[in-house]
Amino acid sequence: MSKLKEALEGGRFPIVMELKTPKGIDLEGMLAPLKSLNGKVTAFGIPDSEHAKMKLSALAAARVVKEAGGEPLVFMTCRDRNRLALESDLLGAGALGLENITAMSGDFVSLGDHPDAKPVYDADSVQLLQIARGLMAGHDSAGLPLTGSPQFCLGAVLIPEADPVAPQLLKAKKKLEAGVDFFITAPVFDLKKLSQFKQLLGAQSVKVLACVKVSKASEVEQAAQGQLRKVYSLPPQIIQELSDADPEEVLKKGAVLAGRLLKEIKAQNLADGVYVKARGRGDLMALILEQAGV
Amino acid sequence: MIIAERKPFAEIKAAVAPYEKILIAGCGTCVAVCLVGGEKEVGLLASQLKLAWGQEGKHPTIGEMTVERQCDREFIQPLGDAVADYDVVISTACGAGVQFLAALPGMKPVIPALNTTFIGVNEEAGFYTERCRACHQCYLGVTGGICPQTMCPKGLLNGPCGGNIQGKCEVNPDRACAWCEIYARLEQQGRLEQIDTILPLHPNGRSNTPATVIHPAYKRRYFAHE
Repeated sequence: MSKLKEALEGGRFPIVMELKTPKGIDLEGMLAPLKSLNGKVTAFGIPDSEHAKMKLSALAAARVVKEAGGEPLVFMTCRDRNRLALESDLLGAGALGLENITAMSGDFVSLGDHPDAKPVYDADSVQLLQIARGLMAGHDSAGLPLTGSPQFCLGAVLIPEADPVAPQLLKAKKKLEAGVDFFITAPVFDLKKLSQFKQLLGAQSVKVLACVKVSKASEVEQAAQGQLRKVYSLPPQIIQELSDADPEEVLKKGAVLAGRLLKEIKAQNLADGVYVKARGRGDLMALILEQAGV
Repeated sequence: MIIAERKPFAEIKAAVAPYEKILIAGCGTCVAVCLVGGEKEVGLLASQLKLAWGQEGKHPTIGEMTVERQCDREFIQPLGDAVADYDVVISTACGAGVQFLAALPGMKPVIPALNTTFIGVNEEAGFYTERCRACHQCYLGVTGGICPQTMCPKGLLNGPCGGNIQGKCEVNPDRACAWCEIYARLEQQGRLEQIDTILPLHPNGRSNTPATVIHPAYKRRYFAHE
């Protein structure tokens, strides 16, 4: 059984660290945090060419992480695969022992580094969850039987600061209906907003991993100028706290803040675990855990 | 209607440079309305070519003929008859018209003057926007008259992606998020329950190209069966 699922169901407040998949096949940088942090974090998030920037296959990266002793949480987007490829890759994930899958629509191709690529979106994230549930039940999306079914712990994404929020809640409701086991939120800097969104979501039995993120200097600068175009916001006092002329100092301050947020999320019971975006750096993750007292 | 844009002049000129007798064939329907392929635009292209070649000391024969629709067999035959006097045809029709014309018996090489872009609407003079992807499965009755396949760049069927910011699209912040608009319109019309149900995977098999539609009343004529 998935260690992530066990930790979520056991109420053990799992901590998931996102790794950075390489643009190439040099795995050293991606795997570096495993050596120092394995045992301190429950699982490692493996993005699927995040921001539509082409990187090493998430499935391959996840298997490498697993062989290195980590528990992978694989992101799977609908951007680059039709239903055949989604199903085939989900079976591949099952065969490779990759149990944790997060279904996403995926950032649009024109935002990434292959803007002329053909976007696919044969399924959306709700339909991908249904497809995965179907495979778990022994059949593909065409209704044909499988010889051996995978078992997954299925995740999806939530945007706590969505504005307007109602369409986002509609999507969340459909993801629940499709059989999601846990949600991962977009990065959260203002815990009041996370709390308000949880109330809107209602008393669902689904687990939530709140995302805490270490921002880089350019993001803090954009936020300070009111130019940060993201689905989350940085409150003014946090922009002030993170601002520094030295980009490395911004990251360290960001890690200290992320550690504090992690601690507060746990203390205030605002989520069932956290998903940490620490730029794939083990040293920043260690600082976050130290600040959080984990 | 079909919306198109004219190709760069240099591309058209280069494509017909080897020929001495050129017929420019216009189309009087969609591309005339969007101001790129009607009689007037045929005249403009002919003048441009004459002027450009005149400066190079060349004086090829350039003829002009615009028909009602190049996508209709009823209207294109005059072009088929006229082409005997020319070496090449520049068509200012959409891609459908160009192909229909090029397939006429005895037709000379046909060069497209336009890039066909989308099925859209005439917002204002010279301002056209896309509305339909001709996907063979219309959702507009469910989604409040806003197409999730066309107006959402990802073609999502079950609600917005996570990328919209304050109701603006992740892909183009100048544009509204289609799903935020669908939700708002259905809410205003008291029809939100219509999008409560998860829509299944889109039947893309219907859109495999090239598609054919036979009107039910003509099925016997074309030996098509239900």
